[in-house]
Amino acid sequence: MNKDVSLMAHLMRRAGFGATRNELEGYLEDGYEATVDNLLDPGESGHMPDDIIRRYHVDQSELRQLDGAGAYWLYRMLTTSNPLEEKLALFWHGLFATGYAKLNQARALLNQIEMFRHYGFGSFRDLLVELSRDPAMILWLDNNENHKEAINENYGRELLELFSMGIGNYSEDDIKECAKAFTGWTLGNAEYMSVRASKDSIWPYGRIAWHYEYRADDHDGGEKKFLGKVGNFNGEDIVDIIVTQEATARFLSTRLFQYFASDEVDSDGELVISGMMEAYFQSGYKVSAVLRSLFNSDYFKSDKCMYSRVKGPVESVVGTVRLAGTYQEPTLDVHSLWAQTMFMGQGLLAPPTVEGWHEGVEWIDSGSLVERINFAAKELSDPTKDGVKDIIRRVTSNQKDLSDPEKLVDSCLDYMGPIQVQPDTREGLIEFAESQGAVQIQNGQPDENASIQVARLIGMIASTREYQLA
Amino acid sequence: MGNKEKSIVVVQLSGGNDYLNTVVPYGDDEYYDFRRTVHIEQEKVLPIDKVYGFSPHMAPIKRLYDQGKVAVINGIGYDNPNRSHFRSMDIWHTAQPDEIGTEGWLGRVIRDLDPSAENVLTGVNFGRGLPRALGVRGVPVASVGNLETYGLFPDIKDESAKKLALDAFAHMYGGVQGKDPVLNFLGQTGMDALKGADILRTAPQKYSSSIEYAANPIAQGMKSIAQVLLADFGTRVFYTQHGSFDTHSGEIATHAKLWDEVSGAVGDFYDDMKEHGKEDEVIVMIFSEFGRRIKDNGSGTDHGSGGVAFLVGGEVKGGMYGQYPSIKEADQLEGDLHFNNDFRSTYSTIVDKWFGLDPVPIVNGQFEQFDLVNA
Amino acid sequence: MVNTNTLSIRYLKTIGIVNNGFNGRGFANPYDVAFGPDGEIFVLNRCDPARRSAIRVGVCNLAEEYLYEFGYGFGDGDGQMTLPVAMAFDAEGRLLITDEHTSRVNIYSNKGDVVSKWGVKGDSEGEFNGPAGIAVDSAGLVYVCDQRNHRIQKYTSEGKFLSQWGVRGSEPGEFNLPWGIGVDISDNVYVADWRNDRVQKFDSSGQYLETIGGSGEGSLNRPSGVSVDRNGNIYVTDWGNERLQVFDSNGKAISSMRGEATLSDWAKDFFESNQDEMETREISNLNPDIPDHLNTPYHISSQTESYFWGPVSVRIDSNNRLYVVESNRHRIQIYEIE
Repeated sequence: MNKDVSLMAHLMRRAGFGATRNELEGYLEDGYEATVDNLLDPGESGHMPDDIIRRYHVDQSELRQLDGAGAYWLYRMLTTSNPLEEKLALFWHGLFATGYAKLNQARALLNQIEMFRHYGFGSFRDLLVELSRDPAMILWLDNNENHKEAINENYGRELLELFSMGIGNYSEDDIKECAKAFTGWTLGNAEYMSVRASKDSIWPYGRIAWHYEYRADDHDGGEKKFLGKVGNFNGEDIVDIIVTQEATARFLSTRLFQYFASDEVDSDGELVISGMMEAYFQSGYKVSAVLRSLFNSDYFKSDKCMYSRVKGPVESVVGTVRLAGTYQEPTLDVHSLWAQTMFMGQGLLAPPTVEGWHEGVEWIDSGSLVERINFAAKELSDPTKDGVKDIIRRVTSNQKDLSDPEKLVDSCLDYMGPIQVQPDTREGLIEFAESQGAVQIQNGQPDENASIQVARLIGMIASTREYQLA
Repeated sequence: MGNKEKSIVVVQLSGGNDYLNTVVPYGDDEYYDFRRTVHIEQEKVLPIDKVYGFSPHMAPIKRLYDQGKVAVINGIGYDNPNRSHFRSMDIWHTAQPDEIGTEGWLGRVIRDLDPSAENVLTGVNFGRGLPRALGVRGVPVASVGNLETYGLFPDIKDESAKKLALDAFAHMYGGVQGKDPVLNFLGQTGMDALKGADILRTAPQKYSSSIEYAANPIAQGMKSIAQVLLADFGTRVFYTQHGSFDTHSGEIATHAKLWDEVSGAVGDFYDDMKEHGKEDEVIVMIFSEFGRRIKDNGSGTDHGSGGVAFLVGGEVKGGMYGQYPSIKEADQLEGDLHFNNDFRSTYSTIVDKWFGLDPVPIVNGQFEQFDLVNA
Repeated sequence: MVNTNTLSIRYLKTIGIVNNGFNGRGFANPYDVAFGPDGEIFVLNRCDPARRSAIRVGVCNLAEEYLYEFGYGFGDGDGQMTLPVAMAFDAEGRLLITDEHTSRVNIYSNKGDVVSKWGVKGDSEGEFNGPAGIAVDSAGLVYVCDQRNHRIQKYTSEGKFLSQWGVRGSEPGEFNLPWGIGVDISDNVYVADWRNDRVQKFDSSGQYLETIGGSGEGSLNRPSGVSVDRNGNIYVTDWGNERLQVFDSNGKAISSMRGEATLSDWAKDFFESNQDEMETREISNLNPDIPDHLNTPYHISSQTESYFWGPVSVRIDSNNRLYVVESNRHRIQIYEIE
């Protein structure tokens, strides 16, 4: 197995949703570090155009409901030329987990995701300020109920605990002062919008999207004491203080490490995180600098880091579909892809609570595993799909003799990733390949039956334990 | 300790069932004042007494009611009612009205019935995706879309090809345990899934009954439940749902069809259990996330609060429980029927009196119970 | 209200309410409107995936009585629809509905009985790849925008192919995913050349005459529908700009409207039984200032209830009333042309 290909495939599984061999070859021309730079500074991405989506899918134009909104985001993930932009937006979605169930406002959620795309690579300070102004977040954590005369601590607490510093780095008083600073940060027509949200009302004419509104008369302009500093702080001032904290640097770097590098943090990982924290302060809190430090670390490139994460359901679905090459054009049943993510335990735009999803091995239970396997096996064992055809073409054109099941299995594993598997898995695959009988090639072309055989093997590889890992 | 033979079937009416057109206050003139368009005519109601009666589309449930096998729980709800489908359903599922809960109440029941998770089939959901009511970390619950094809590789139609795939799967997942704990865990989970599916798929073959269930989804769901229950896999909690009861428009026709289907399915299920001598070992609970507005909107009804739940079973003490809320303007809660009993009272009754478990940690508190099952 | 020397467009009323069910009054992503002989308003409900089994045509009238509805389910069976786009009555009073997924035209009686169908997928003469807009001229001949073949095809109402014109491109007479189509009283044909951001005018044989709204004042962004009144004024649902754009018979832009919807009777009924929503609505500013980063027509319309949002079709009835169909707001705004 070619080491450069293997490393690039690893990078793209982490910084994206995996890559086809064609894509990998393109990235390899640029080289590893240049690819990292391009991923981190993507510019305008290419993806399926909005007008095409909206004309075809009424539900994705109106965005009244969750399935359409989820499908809309999935299209972006499936067709983007900048996979890290979406992968990072998905990270923020898990970290700043805002859910449809309470809001009943899919448009506002997608606006929040768009905000993540826009601010996600830049200064963490700007991102937290925008997050605090985000209408979906405001309603999700009740900041519309956070009044000058009666504070609601929900947003203030989670901003510190779940979004920036982590528990143990501030006091209960800091939470109260933080909440006071965010009084008056609300959304337009908050009363009507919150009644509609709490009744899931689409009447009379569908949803009415939300926008941020600052009510100066409902803001507590008094003196506050926060993390040892004193002043007439408003929300921005609070964020300014938060981002200078070492706890914040550690919290952010650790979460990014766990999402992009490894579910578990060991002592080598701690060193990488120290480097990320340094990059955080040196760059003026830039997320792209923190990520560059991670992706270019020796640890990230080491064998130890490879396959050390359980794929999340969304990355699993998107990776599989991108590999199969489907949904590149508007496709009638795209909304069912969203349902798939739900069945696997990660309903996009519907995290269960503000804590987001429990990741790593907690993604896996017998029900979700069956869903993952059945979905990937079905998607990838279909020899009529462009991506599957391409794998079959590469496998069959590189080997004159496909009658050796070991070579066939190794070749499929190579072109599907490369994917490294355990000996048991490889034996199981070889047994499967053997049981199907030898693959026949005529004039360098697989016949229909041969294509079906190879495709079934590809589907079988998508059913392995190793395919569940990134 | 739980009573090993007892089980529950939960039927969720998704979308918000219209209480007023389910148990109809046909003897109250005000009902017809508020429901100018969306009402059930007096002469069509299946009377319970002089004031209340079942919808004409609930004849099988009325029949069981007359046999004393149906408890009608009136005015069920919770404080500060939420009228959003998702949120209110969440509240019913997690038994936590005040904050966003993480554990499902039935998941906790399953955990307490089978604390060491010995049986992967203690809880079985019929439908794709797991309802939050069943979700508790570490508690395995099977979610069955279609009993006949349940399990791995349902899309491989060719039987011999499927067998090859399943054999290879067993080889890949069931091999010797290596040193990577994550791969080991995946292997174990995959083998559990394979095992559970193999067991479940045998249920239809073992089943025989004179009952002919209708072709609609809820009837077929109840048939699958009967098959699994009668196959004695030790399943104690069954879950299924039907809908959509979200009848904002054209309610009369839609609501009639839905209740024809639900009451037909529940009636057939009861008869099926009776045919197999099991009617005393299972309770069916029917609930919805909320009731609907008292006043109609000219075509349907909008999201409301106070609702109705039903318990059906051989050991149920039939009758009317709770109070049917007054529909007078002054007694309304923001245009809705004012609930008068917390849904967790009903949950507590089931958990305690039916399963013999401590209800407090399951429903998040102490709630007054009904005397509606034979202990 | 718009007044020019020759033309006044006066808002009359809004009909409709969102229907999230499977039957009954209200609309579910309405896509087109057509007018029956006795004042019936036929509304084509494209329906989103959650409701697609109830894909149907609803029939009401200007007084907002919901009269009846018909549909045969989602799919490609007789009378069924998958992604219906547009409809028109033919000279015999039968309703023709295009379906861009099945590449078919379904024909129904005006009571909703299934009469017949035509069309197969392909790119040969008479075949379709995503039929969209449909219009019938004074001779009863039918024009269909064959969207993904980027051409217009002309048929008898039985589906007998007569002629075609256009290829993919952006030159005059070429198309890029055309959507809506209309004819004027002289049987000139107007095509909403969607992805070329213009309307093109042809004579009934397909001879190119002129381009409307291609640039300058009133320039269009992804126009979806086009209709022409008896005086030759041209009305375009400027989908990408979320507005109704009006041109005079010379193609000069004369007015641009964002919509002024009010509550339909059905909507008033809703608020009657949902006082909590009515009360908070009354203290709200329903025409808010939108922050800069959401300052696109689409975002503005998504937050401004009275504005057009997703205007997919504009049609004129025999009483010179103009109907703008809004897919995203499930309603029809009606204007009077004088």
